[in-house]
Amino acid sequence: MTDIWIVITLLAIATFSIRLGGVLLGQKLPVTGPWARGLNALPGCLIIALVSVLVLSGGPHEWIAGAVALVVTLVTRNLPLTMTAGILCIFLLRQW
Amino acid sequence: MLTHKNHSPVQEFLAACKDIAPLALGVAIYGLAFGLLASQAGMDTLQVGTMGTVVFAGASQILAVERLVAGAGALAAVVAAIALNLRLLLVTASIREVFKGRPLWQLLLGAHMSTDENWALMLATRAKGGNAGYWYLVGGGVCLFVTWLVSTILGVSFAQAIPEPRALGMDFAFTAAFIAIARSLWRDRSDLLPWLVAISIVTAIMLNNWLDSSWALLLGGCSGALVAALIPDD
Repeated sequence: MTDIWIVITLLAIATFSIRLGGVLLGQKLPVTGPWARGLNALPGCLIIALVSVLVLSGGPHEWIAGAVALVVTLVTRNLPLTMTAGILCIFLLRQW
Repeated sequence: MLTHKNHSPVQEFLAACKDIAPLALGVAIYGLAFGLLASQAGMDTLQVGTMGTVVFAGASQILAVERLVAGAGALAAVVAAIALNLRLLLVTASIREVFKGRPLWQLLLGAHMSTDENWALMLATRAKGGNAGYWYLVGGGVCLFVTWLVSTILGVSFAQAIPEPRALGMDFAFTAAFIAIARSLWRDRSDLLPWLVAISIVTAIMLNNWLDSSWALLLGGCSGALVAALIPDD
């Protein structure tokens, strides 16, 4: 299917340009002031936005499992444990 | 926070490989699922291997091929996938000190090896006081790259034997991982307002169906960062 090769080619060029664009843009922006404060805050804001998207894309099961994962990470600060608890929780919720 | 001790690149690379293991497991499950989808789209192992190598952005690959299977056409599939990947601009821009003063080949390599998972893991490791710089990022990225290629090619080769990630609850693996990583990225109370703004914007857009979730993510993340930029240091 030629469609697939078109998709692969265009998506590869676009994605690499986006990634490299970010690298070069980051080097150009000032290291102090508003730009620096914004860039420093960006990772946390992006991750919390991503978490919001993922949780809101689901239903009550995802919301409950998300709350459980949050409690586990607040108590343990442990990545594998938080993942295990979240997966286990959603698995059990979906059995009902 | 930025520690430049005498940790060698090799040590950082290997530390990342160890730390990324639980995330790589999640990636492997998704790789198998992508292989299943790719076989439905009529892709062969060469196409799956090539796509993984040159695109290396799992969620966008899944989205593009899913659109193709749904009959959306190549252009619509690419546009949707690019919208999803625009966040990678912010991902690589936000870790500029990692790339500072590096030779061109390292910029190119680091850019291509930057994904949500190893980027976030690097930030979380740093937030906990760990030594995590360029080679930590690349180490995690290379592990995910190999995992993604192997699992997607296995997936397309043995499509009939693959269970849906959803049936195992594995679709929640990354949500849980990013919740844990968000907790590590919390710096102090100055994060509260930007984070609340990010969450509110995403929630408003998604609950009202104003825009696709790719845009909700970008607008939410940027709005939070904008608020942080506008609050002056005390």
